[in-house]
Amino acid sequence: MTPEPLFAISTLLFCIGLVGIISRRNLFVTYISIELMLSAVNLLLATFSRLHGDSAGSVMVLLMIAVIAAEAALFLAIIIQLARSKKSIDSDEFSQLQQPRESL
Amino acid sequence: MEQILSNIIFVPIIIAIIVGVFGLSIKWIRVGAIISSVVVTILVAIVIVNFDPSGGMQFVRIVPWIQNYGIRYYIGVDAISLVILTLIAIVMPILYLYIWEERRKGYWYNMMMLQTGVTGAVLSLDMVLFYLFWETMLLPIFIMIGRYGSGMHQHNAMKIVLMTILGSMSMLFSILYLGYDYFEANGSWSFAVNDLATLHFDAQTSIWLAAGFLLAFAIKIPLVGFHTWMAPAYGSSPTPAVVILSAIMAKLGVYGLWRFGYGIFDTTLSYYAPTITTLALIGLLYYAIHAIMESDLRRMFAFSSGSHLSLIALGIIVANIYSWGGSLYFIATHALASAGIFIMIGLLFRRTKSLEIENLGGIASIAPKFAFFFVFFALSIAGLPGTGGFVAELLIIIGAFKYNIWIGALSATTMLSAMLYIFWMLQRVIYGEVGSSVSGFRDLDRRELMMLLPLMLLLLVTGIAPSLFMPYLEPQILTILSALGGIQ
Amino acid sequence: MNLLSFIVLIPFFSALVLGLIYLSDTKKDRFTLYTSIGILAPTLSMILSIMLWISMLDQDSDTIFYSKLFSWVELGDFHISVAFMADRLTTVMVTFITFVGTLIHIYAAGYMRGDESYGKFFSYFNLFMGSMLLLILASNPIIMFVGWELVGLSSYLLIGFYHKDSANIKAANKAFILNRVGDFGFVMALSILFLALEGSGYSFVSIEANIHTISTPTLSLIGILLFVGAMGKSAQIPLYVWLPDAMAGPTPVSALIHAATMVTAGVYMVARFAFLYNEIPHVGEFIAIVGAISALFAAIIATYQDDIKKILAYSTMSQLGYMFVAVGLGAYSSGIFHVFTHAFFKALLFMGAGAVIIAMHHEQNIFKMGGLKNSLRLVYVTMFIATLAISGIPPFAGFFSKDAILAAAFASEHYFIWGIGTLTAFLTALYMFRMLFIVFYNGTQPRVKLSPISKFMDRPLIILAFGSATLGLLGLGEAYGGSNIFGSFISLPDRTLHISHSSEYLLAILNTSMGVLGMWLAYRLFATNATMPTVKVAWQRIVINKFYIDELYELLFVKPLRSLSLFFERFIDRVGFDGILYISTYSYRYAGAKFAQLQNGKVRYYALYSMVGIALVSLFLLIFIGGI
Repeated sequence: MTPEPLFAISTLLFCIGLVGIISRRNLFVTYISIELMLSAVNLLLATFSRLHGDSAGSVMVLLMIAVIAAEAALFLAIIIQLARSKKSIDSDEFSQLQQPRESL
Repeated sequence: MEQILSNIIFVPIIIAIIVGVFGLSIKWIRVGAIISSVVVTILVAIVIVNFDPSGGMQFVRIVPWIQNYGIRYYIGVDAISLVILTLIAIVMPILYLYIWEERRKGYWYNMMMLQTGVTGAVLSLDMVLFYLFWETMLLPIFIMIGRYGSGMHQHNAMKIVLMTILGSMSMLFSILYLGYDYFEANGSWSFAVNDLATLHFDAQTSIWLAAGFLLAFAIKIPLVGFHTWMAPAYGSSPTPAVVILSAIMAKLGVYGLWRFGYGIFDTTLSYYAPTITTLALIGLLYYAIHAIMESDLRRMFAFSSGSHLSLIALGIIVANIYSWGGSLYFIATHALASAGIFIMIGLLFRRTKSLEIENLGGIASIAPKFAFFFVFFALSIAGLPGTGGFVAELLIIIGAFKYNIWIGALSATTMLSAMLYIFWMLQRVIYGEVGSSVSGFRDLDRRELMMLLPLMLLLLVTGIAPSLFMPYLEPQILTILSALGGIQ
Repeated sequence: MNLLSFIVLIPFFSALVLGLIYLSDTKKDRFTLYTSIGILAPTLSMILSIMLWISMLDQDSDTIFYSKLFSWVELGDFHISVAFMADRLTTVMVTFITFVGTLIHIYAAGYMRGDESYGKFFSYFNLFMGSMLLLILASNPIIMFVGWELVGLSSYLLIGFYHKDSANIKAANKAFILNRVGDFGFVMALSILFLALEGSGYSFVSIEANIHTISTPTLSLIGILLFVGAMGKSAQIPLYVWLPDAMAGPTPVSALIHAATMVTAGVYMVARFAFLYNEIPHVGEFIAIVGAISALFAAIIATYQDDIKKILAYSTMSQLGYMFVAVGLGAYSSGIFHVFTHAFFKALLFMGAGAVIIAMHHEQNIFKMGGLKNSLRLVYVTMFIATLAISGIPPFAGFFSKDAILAAAFASEHYFIWGIGTLTAFLTALYMFRMLFIVFYNGTQPRVKLSPISKFMDRPLIILAFGSATLGLLGLGEAYGGSNIFGSFISLPDRTLHISHSSEYLLAILNTSMGVLGMWLAYRLFATNATMPTVKVAWQRIVINKFYIDELYELLFVKPLRSLSLFFERFIDRVGFDGILYISTYSYRYAGAKFAQLQNGKVRYYALYSMVGIALVSLFLLIFIGGI
């Protein structure tokens, strides 16, 4: 199996995830996009691991899956707290660190 | 004796720190301030007595400070700085008398810090040290105007500080460049004025470097175009700050022109001479005309101050024995006259709570002593013979004529400038019918007389017997002039 | 010779003492103290001046007495001392100034009695005397200029003496400002003169010695600029408008300052610089023309005035014009002789007018007077003598001095000037007798009950009348068998002019007839049924309104300066200079606000910014470091 299609898929997935983070306001979608980006990186790692016959990449993938799971839990907990406080999962609602508006 | 100049600089702030640290009451602060000013006056008197007019820079003290970069604590006094030093020694005690009733501690601390800053600036011979003191004197002014001022005082405090700092920054760039250049040329660092004077630049660099300094001084004096901070600041600031601004700090602008302009950039200044001359001549009349319709007395005399300082700047640029003698003399006499008039305006304000001319009038009918002193100081500013201002203006006019007949004729308009606004002002404020704010106007009491009499006597003495003072000034002027290559 | 210094110092010292006493308690009435000190000072100066004059009598004509007080300024080549010199000219001036001055001080004691600021008045009055004497006795032009400005100051203080009324202060301001405009020219002249002579000393004596080293164009410039100063001080066209307004001051002030002394300072100055003006006769011609025109102009206005003091003010301006004609044409002795005689009769006229004003309860409009001939007999007789003198009717003083001036004009072939002068002589007699007749004739009883006049005021009138009657003989020219005592004593470097005796007699007859004609016409028109001048013809309106010159100055100078001031404040400062500043401050704030909008607190935007940053850095690394 040649690695090129796998590179392509990985890049594609990464870009989709990137655009998703930037353009989507729904917090869940943001989370999904992050996961997508992580998956894409995982895929790339695994591909290179198989390509160079180096097991280090596969080990990193396994570790990452574990960490991603923990991160998922954390992320979802935060979303639930945010949703409780503002009754919304629009990320644009949570802009308290913005520049206060003032007139020139 | 070696330490005397350092003492003169630091005594006020040390006393301020001691009083502040121990959190002493206002009574002690007052005593401390008076002691510091009396001590300074005595020390300055000792310096004057031991001063040798033909001795160049004296009482010099050099202490290495930031050795890696050749920055030293380098102070000294010559005839020119001595004049300003004496002015500080005379004016500060009078101001402390003026604010005797003031209970806000900040006032007193700021005055003492101001005294240190101003004294240090006039005595510094190391550029970085000078810059330090130049900035130090700005901070108390900012606080005095911003905190204790009136009218749009916060806005005006910001304005004066930002504009002055603009100038200071450009000066800093030039200083640093000079220092670095010296290092390149000589392998060691130094920021002393006489060392930096040995540097040579090509014309283009020199013009830019001089511009850095000149911008700072042009803003300070102020020359026309750089002056919009002046009237708001003078109008909003409390009397002691106004007196220091007009009598001392403005003079430091022209002093800077002398010490650093002619000290380091003697030939480059001839490049700038037409510009500065034009600005000074325009300023002479522009400020005077502007003052005519002013309705606030402090702003009016702010413009008056600017007008006379433009004349002094002209005298310095023209660079011959008469104009320099006249300028130096004018620095002293104008400081005395403007201190007098601003103090009187302050006394007026205390009594009437208003400085708007339309509410005043008829003071001569109610308070003749006050009217007498007020008219005296106003006429001193107008250069009445018998007061020192006349001698100074005459000398500057002669010097200007020597330079160029047209410049001379234009500089003679100084005889016309002050009268444009002073007489109408006197008519509306002192004479005529008693105005709405003037009823119940108290005449001068003994403390106030004590403040004003020294100023008046000095103005009369400088007017009647200038020969008492000229010998102190003439040798140094001649020395610097001949060093300039005989620009007579 | 320290006497000289005391002549000047005593009045100054007295002014200081009086001032201090006054300021210590301004309300206290110390009539005797103030009067004794106030009159003592000029009396002492007068005695010293007479002593000086006596010592001068048996000295050579070019002897000069010196007295140096101390060194004033020493800087470079500028060596000025406060020093006094007395030559023949100075002696004459100082003698009659102190004499007339003392008389007027005595008069003032009567006139000002009861005024609440009596002490201040005498302090200022003595200050004036000291300043005038300083001006005359100065040994160098700079000290003379100090005196020059100080008399301007005294004039300001005295005109504005009744300071509660703003109109008086305006008049005082006008006086000082116009004087200063003149001084502006004067200072320029002094500076140029000094620099032209640099190195060879700056006292009158040394200037005279070195005058030939200066080129004629420079000398002409100096001469004209010096005259500008004289135009202001001596109220010639165009700087004269302050003089009529100066009548707002108390009458003794008008008598002393604006008649006998200060206004003649300009004439004195030209005479003092005679050696300079002799080198530039064309400038002298200019001076004479200005003098002649001023004389005529003032005389025309005076014929329509109704305030007694203003008539006298214009009359002074007119007579000053004559003096300038004289010194302009090089007849310095005649000019100073006219200063001398004029001091007597003009002071007398003012003092008499003051007496009338007091008697009429401070009324100054002549049309409200009338019929005072019998009630104020002494005043009437003395003023009659003075009016005869000023009209140039022999043998009274004015005839000899005026005649000498007109003869000089004729002899130097300046017929235009001579013509104006003769016409003005006619007008002078006309308006002066008009005033006399309207005030004293027009009935035999006064219209109101008169106030009494103090003795202080009477005696000086008599003395001055005697002077006006007789002193003319001092100038009796040789055509009449006299030896011109005055002219030969004063020994000024006149440009001598000769006309035949017969021409002199003809001129004298012409001048006398002008005077008599004026007197007769005034009698016909005004001695009975005089009414206020009304406007029947257009040109009368112009004359009554003094040719609208005040209004013209207001329009040309006062209003534009005020508008300019407002313009500077509102536009150039606020919009112009501040505008430039505000552009930079506002653009900073604007840019800052825009940048701040980037920080909107939203996570996705921050993610975008990070991405952009990473992409750029990676590209940079790839291209510049990686070598793609």
